Amino acid sequence: MSNLVLQARALSKKFVGVQALDKVSLGIETGTIHCLAGENGSGKSTFVKTISGLYQPDEGDILLNGNVYTGLTPVQAMREGVQVIYQDLSLFPHMSLAENIALNRLRLSGAKIVDWKKIWRIAKEQTEKIGVDIDLNATAMETSMAGRQITAICRALSQDAKLLFMDEPTAALTRQEVDRLLKVVQELKNKGLSVVFISHKLDEIFRISDNITIFRDGKKIGDFASGQLDEKSLAYHMTGRDVRYPRYRRSLGDDTPLLQVKGLNKQGHYQDVSFQIRPGDILGLIGLLGSGRTEFALSLFGLNPPEEGVVVFEGETVRVASPVEANRLGIALLPEDRGSQGLFKERGIRENVTSTLLGRLASGFRALDREKEREIAEEGVKKLRIRAPGIETPVGTLSGGNAQKVVVAKWSAANPKLFIMDSPTVGIDIGSKAEIYEMVQSFARGGMAVLFITDELEELMCNCNRVLVMGNHRIIAELDENAMTQSDAERRIADLIGGSAGKEVEV
Amino acid sequence: MRDLMGDLTGRIRHRRVNATEGILAGIILLYCVMVAAVNPAFLSVETLFDIVRSSSTAVIVGMGLLLVMLSGGIDVSFMSIALFGSYVAAYAMIRLKIDSLAFAFAVSIGLGTILGLVNALLVNWLNLPPFIVTLGTQNLFHGVMTTFISDKTFGAGVIPSALSKFGSATLFTLKTRQGVMGLTAAVIPMSIAVLLTWFIVSHTLVGRGVVAMGNSPESARRAGFNLLKLRLFAYGYIGALSAVMGVVYISQVNAVYPNKLVGSELMIIAGAVIGGVKDTGGRGKVLGVILGITIIYLLNSTLIFLGLSSSWNNFFVGTLLVASVGVTSWQNRRKNRKNLLFTE
Repeated sequence: MSNLVLQARALSKKFVGVQALDKVSLGIETGTIHCLAGENGSGKSTFVKTISGLYQPDEGDILLNGNVYTGLTPVQAMREGVQVIYQDLSLFPHMSLAENIALNRLRLSGAKIVDWKKIWRIAKEQTEKIGVDIDLNATAMETSMAGRQITAICRALSQDAKLLFMDEPTAALTRQEVDRLLKVVQELKNKGLSVVFISHKLDEIFRISDNITIFRDGKKIGDFASGQLDEKSLAYHMTGRDVRYPRYRRSLGDDTPLLQVKGLNKQGHYQDVSFQIRPGDILGLIGLLGSGRTEFALSLFGLNPPEEGVVVFEGETVRVASPVEANRLGIALLPEDRGSQGLFKERGIRENVTSTLLGRLASGFRALDREKEREIAEEGVKKLRIRAPGIETPVGTLSGGNAQKVVVAKWSAANPKLFIMDSPTVGIDIGSKAEIYEMVQSFARGGMAVLFITDELEELMCNCNRVLVMGNHRIIAELDENAMTQSDAERRIADLIGGSAGKEVEV
Repeated sequence: MRDLMGDLTGRIRHRRVNATEGILAGIILLYCVMVAAVNPAFLSVETLFDIVRSSSTAVIVGMGLLLVMLSGGIDVSFMSIALFGSYVAAYAMIRLKIDSLAFAFAVSIGLGTILGLVNALLVNWLNLPPFIVTLGTQNLFHGVMTTFISDKTFGAGVIPSALSKFGSATLFTLKTRQGVMGLTAAVIPMSIAVLLTWFIVSHTLVGRGVVAMGNSPESARRAGFNLLKLRLFAYGYIGALSAVMGVVYISQVNAVYPNKLVGSELMIIAGAVIGGVKDTGGRGKVLGVILGITIIYLLNSTLIFLGLSSSWNNFFVGTLLVASVGVTSWQNRRKNRKNLLFTE
């Protein structure tokens, strides 16, 4: 028992009507990497916030380094060496990285006067400790996501972290950045730290963790050594059912292309892009970040307009110069960053879902048809199985998976002919993923064309009947329906992306 | 490689941030050269002393405003607080026949700090935008004063001599062709305000806490800062500095009016924004505020030299304000475009 840095005993926490934590007992060993797995709303975050002192447990107690607490304050937790890196990283955007690293430690030490030399010394010490080189002078806003992650880690280390929680640290990172981060996490473990890692990416969980604890509906399902589980059994324990992603096949007879793109060019973004898409196609677009895929997809939506090339939509040559134009044609975009671009966070589900159809719900000076608006919102909630207390619930309070479903509901309410989805399941748990896939596939069966951009091979394989692979700003391969049914399709795509980056890709 | 590029651009952009002050200083210099070319009489010690005198009050409250804006808030009630503090102090001095400058400052600062704390508490409890809250208290404070204390005007004859003496006091005098002129004693409270604010913002933990809160309240809370305490500090601080400014102001005009000052807040806020203080909080410098306010007062007091009517003042200040926020927004947009963010 002595090598446990943290021991939680029968922790319970209730929020208005919801049992967020139900008698959870959990021990974290010194010098291990421990993964918390579970769907959104399963209680992982509540657990972390209880240990870090943001929430007080209703029942149970917490043992940290041998000291018993029935509830912690954030400062007490930090004094015991508990550090949390939240998904938003909690950095100060206009402050230098050096200050970002050192400020919390100064605050914790109770200093009144700020010694800038000390700030720099602390910052340098931490970056050297984990052997990274970042520009400590730059502000957090000017730094890449990976650099910000490193800064947050350094900040935690500077406060003598013994137990480091990382909440989905890889969600916004590119593949190379993830590799680098996982290496740093390994390094922390080698130095004797305990790291608790929260991630939705199952492959990462297996790559890095020693132990895995699974949460579901506020309860602990079990503790496992990493070797005891595989992706399938992990998914089963997380969801309580066998999650099988539906595989899509196009069944429409009509082969007239909806959209034809010929020789689309934009200097430095993408080159010579040509393809066509038919109603009912779910056309996958895969390629590493920087391959030009997002740049290109935005062009179809009227942002980032191309310099050369022809776009034919429903048989007519069009110039999509703005999102308004795209909307009029029936082209919708589900942006990669739903937080800042896809939602009105403080408004309810109803207003979000119907925001794309206000023109249809009210004409001229007539007031909005509230009844109709409610109907549409309720239908969206039902069809997509959005879990929320009601249709007026502010979207900002929903979990990632449910918020994303609202975005999907919003655009599908407008009934677009072409739906461009950029990484629609980033940061979403597997249960919600399956529901979103089902939805997308039923759209396609109804005759919608979908351009599906993704990083994940698995979701590409189950959703797309055709695939474009991008690399170095060009389309380097196209797999048609025939090729996609071959058993080697997945490996071929993996090789293609791997080759285009000059790097091996783990699948 | 990616990181190296990020670091490089970071370094370059860092310089550009510091360059805000450089650009402002350049504009000031260029403008002075222009005015001097039109009217050489501008280049005199007298003009300089005059601008210092007229802008000293603005710089004092500007320092308080910097702290509040750094905290991510705003205060539009500070002139009302300045009037409240100084009016009550002068009124008490006249009624109680106390003729002491120290008494005036003590009473005024005491009241100003309390009113500032009231603002902080209201912002915290009501959880409303500080602009709305302080817009309310601006009227409230002024109303309380004129309704329950007094709304009389006290002219040059009745105003305590300690105040009028301070108002006309000079640090040193110079003999020039135009006669004898001196540098107003108001530079003392002004310098104290500037140095103190600089020290607080860059060398104390409470100052960094205020900046941290303006950057991200949630992150500041997670770092262990008490947001209420930081708010109390920031709004209390601007309250105290406003009160100091009020006493300096009534001393300089040598009279106490129950309805002056209130309504002239926006010029100071404009000065701060021109000086590069971010209206969303977390970024701003002492030097920037000084330069921003200097530009406004420079325009204000040099239009005569150019032979322009004072209505041009609004035109120039407005242009500067729109230009300065326009440039920032344009830079952001360019940066966003590069990262494929289309926010407009």
